[in-house]
Amino acid sequence: MTEENAPQQQAPPAAPSGPPRHSGHGGPGGPGGPRPPGGRPGGPAKRGKRSFVRKKKVCRFCVDKADFIDYKRAEILAPFLQERGKILPRRITGTCARHQRWLTVAIKRAQNIALLPFAAEL
Amino acid sequence: MEERLYDLIFICRPDTPEPDVDKVIATIEHTATEKGAKIEKTEKWGRKRMAYRVQRLREGLYVYMVVRSSHGEVVKELERRLKVADPVIKYLTVRLDEELKRQEKLKLHRERRAARRPRKTTAAPAAPPSPASSEPPTATL
Repeated sequence: MTEENAPQQQAPPAAPSGPPRHSGHGGPGGPGGPRPPGGRPGGPAKRGKRSFVRKKKVCRFCVDKADFIDYKRAEILAPFLQERGKILPRRITGTCARHQRWLTVAIKRAQNIALLPFAAEL
Repeated sequence: MEERLYDLIFICRPDTPEPDVDKVIATIEHTATEKGAKIEKTEKWGRKRMAYRVQRLREGLYVYMVVRSSHGEVVKELERRLKVADPVIKYLTVRLDEELKRQEKLKLHRERRAARRPRKTTAAPAAPPSPASSEPPTATL
């Protein structure tokens, strides 16, 4: 359970699209694939209290059908940064692998021309 | 040789008078045309706050240009010019054509797919994921 708590507390500042949940189980091409029965998914059902509906995260860029992520538009990249300036992992934002790849490149370019911070100041 | 497209952004000191900024732009344009490149676009974004301090400055005058060239030597020369230009505090050149090519390809691909099955494409992406993600936890019981 401690595993689940950590990302939840970390996420709110930067992931505006829906409440973030732990690992992208059932996400687009989720990491595990077919799991052995009685693994993690069984947990919530047994402990009735903890069963919450996991909201499906979708890649924002897939929704927009983005073929290109423009590094010059800092305002669309900013939500994918943590307060401290770190790039948010896709397990939190729900971005698909391909778009996350483009996104990191775009963010790094934006950082180089001072449109986005490398790290928070102070 | 194929043509390449570059984004060129540079930042001038915030206290630079307008004519000096124009002078830098003119130098860039001149050098580019001299080397056989073409300036496709010049945009002055004006005073913008920078995400971090550069040479102790918090703001800068952003200028954005798009350069089309058939050889990379031009970029080298342009960057050298920007480096020696006094008002310029930061610059960045990014090659764009490959990404634009990829964009075109994906767009074409999607259009083709949409044409193949005109009605289904709108329903297909939305429908399958939702039942799949909510079902498994309850089914294991």
